[in-house]
Amino acid sequence: MAESKQIKTLVDVGKAVPQVSDGGRVEKTLLRAKGPGDDKIHTWPHLVRAEFLCFLAVLAFMLVWSLLVDAPLEQPAAPTRTPNPSKAPWYFLGLQEILVFFDPWHAGVVLPSFIIVGLMVLPFIDINPKGNGYFCYADRKWEILTFFGGFHVLWIVLIVVGTFLRGPGWNWFWPWEVWDSHKVVAMSNVDLPYLFGFRDYTLSALFGLAVVAGYFVLGTALMYWLIVRAKGREFMERWGTARFGLTSFLFLNMIAVVIKLIMRMGFNIKYIMVTPWINI
Amino acid sequence: MAKDKEELSAEEIAGIHEQRRVEQQQEADRRKRGKERMASVWSRRDFFGKLGWSGFGVVSLATLLAGMRSSFPRVLFKPDTTFRAGIPDDFGIGEVSEKFKKDFRVWIVRDETGFYALYAKCTHLGCTPRWLTAENKFKCPCHGSGFYRNGINFEGPAPRPLERVRITLTEEGELLVDVGVKYRSERGDWGKPGSYLTV
Amino acid sequence: MSKWEEIKKQIVESPVWQAIFRHGYDDTPRNRVLMVSGNVWLHLHPSKVRRHGVRLKFTWCMGGITFLMFLITVVTGVYLMFYYRPVAEYAYADMKYLEFDMPFGMLMRNMHRWAAHAMVIAVWLHMFRVFMTGSYKPPREFNWVVGVILLVLTLLLSFTGYLLPWDQLSIWAVTVGSNMARAMPVLGHEGPFAEFAGVNAVYDARALLFGGGEIGPHTLLRFYILHCIFFPLVTTLLLIVHFWRIRRDGLSGPAL
Repeated sequence: MAESKQIKTLVDVGKAVPQVSDGGRVEKTLLRAKGPGDDKIHTWPHLVRAEFLCFLAVLAFMLVWSLLVDAPLEQPAAPTRTPNPSKAPWYFLGLQEILVFFDPWHAGVVLPSFIIVGLMVLPFIDINPKGNGYFCYADRKWEILTFFGGFHVLWIVLIVVGTFLRGPGWNWFWPWEVWDSHKVVAMSNVDLPYLFGFRDYTLSALFGLAVVAGYFVLGTALMYWLIVRAKGREFMERWGTARFGLTSFLFLNMIAVVIKLIMRMGFNIKYIMVTPWINI
Repeated sequence: MAKDKEELSAEEIAGIHEQRRVEQQQEADRRKRGKERMASVWSRRDFFGKLGWSGFGVVSLATLLAGMRSSFPRVLFKPDTTFRAGIPDDFGIGEVSEKFKKDFRVWIVRDETGFYALYAKCTHLGCTPRWLTAENKFKCPCHGSGFYRNGINFEGPAPRPLERVRITLTEEGELLVDVGVKYRSERGDWGKPGSYLTV
Repeated sequence: MSKWEEIKKQIVESPVWQAIFRHGYDDTPRNRVLMVSGNVWLHLHPSKVRRHGVRLKFTWCMGGITFLMFLITVVTGVYLMFYYRPVAEYAYADMKYLEFDMPFGMLMRNMHRWAAHAMVIAVWLHMFRVFMTGSYKPPREFNWVVGVILLVLTLLLSFTGYLLPWDQLSIWAVTVGSNMARAMPVLGHEGPFAEFAGVNAVYDARALLFGGGEIGPHTLLRFYILHCIFFPLVTTLLLIVHFWRIRRDGLSGPAL
């Protein structure tokens, strides 16, 4: 019947320091085990204590924050009066921002679905065995860069833009500019087929379709070439057509958002493809 | 020849045992006292540990009290309890008027000398009694409690008379009834101003 | 033995204590294991974890913080439910009532909102950490998928709750957020190919969300039920799966 009263700290496997009067059972167990699980410690008290302290710290922070900063409550709902600007909740501002550049169904349904599906298939397209269970940049450079680019750069920047740089009429306002709800911005947007001289509706639509299709075909080919160059043909065969196809499709869609942004803001190009049903 | 240097007598052996026992006992006592003294000394670890846990206890207790306090709003919305009941001439002498029973739960009773208002809540378990003109009594349908027209209970399980509510006259000569102010006969309230209006 | 030790001994050896804590109070390895495996609140944990599992530098504690935010919103939400009526005439007035007439009402409302925002941020950081440690790689792929669904549910919970104060911020943010649904192909009445499915303004994906053609009292009740009952239930069920998968596959970590 052991009755040690002090809570023992981590017992070093290498140095058996008898601090418990349990007949040295703990050290013997630890010394004997040479396989996985050697570096295990008891949940109680160590993990539970860590969780408890984290809980206290976070709760204290939330209490202080809630006491100091009030949640907003604006005027009562008036369905006939739309505030200017009218912003979605901050976590959707990224989507509201790309609404400027894409058709509503594309920005609101297609792209979010791609984001969610893309996240879900991530474990299935990533066949890199390294980096499983530890932090490392060098072992997974491209995966990390892609994730960073999509999440931290694109998504977060769009939210920041939507929060701080968009004012009345969803016009661009620098932080030092006063919000003017009557600001007039000359919007001389032009469609890409028009820019290339196409005036007939059907031909313009076909041209636009050709550009979009061409983008995906050329983009996929370019990606194929780059990946084979970087990782070898053997890797591409192992990766397989399905994974490669999925990855390149999603990746090209993500880059397309950036390209569309540049085309609109830099060259005032509105749509690439105009059809009665779908505009891109 | 029997007594050698190594051989000791029985008493001496017993004496040595006794001595050894006493020494051991004293040593044990000394150690115990030392331990007791050390037990009341707090290390830094002890201090901050106790401080942390008592802080946790204080915050938990405060949360519990706050939770209990937060069950009681500071502002309750209730309708106004006063209403105007017309002029005295609207009521005949000896009449038990049920005009305001539905909306305000009061009977307005006029006798030879004036007015009083009875609250239509049975003093047994709170049902609304009925006024039976033919039998000249208030009768509660729930358990059969009966009250005379002056509110006194005389039959059934009701333990005390019906309560009166405040009835006064405005400057314009209107009857003003306030169901928020109650008068209980058994407490001697029926003599107080407001419980009866002399007209 | 000092007075405190005596008192403690009496409590710990009393029949009441022994009935609750059957395995005793002494700190032995056996009792340390039993404290976890024999405790209804704690027995989801394994009785031993790998050392890095308690390191903030590895886990960032973001999964735990997300769950903590969920619990905070549930507790504060229950409090708010006592005095909030999901009726268009009363909703805004009830918000004012909660903030100014209820003891601790302002604090509860604030904590609810900030915990909700913190939950969105924490779940993003959690996803980021899991990605950086590659903890979605085999055999943990399915748990990552469950996690993505939980991410979507977190955003939906936040979105449905956004409408409930019924102020200008609420209805217009929800209008903007859900206008995209009416432009869905086939399912939205202003999207392409709408004629094929026969959708119109009161019978399309957006109307499904709103409970009608426009945002109105029916929307408020619908969002209230989604926010307080449906989404929390689904989230709880998926959290159960999420936590169980972590036990089954073990907390990820470097190979030994």
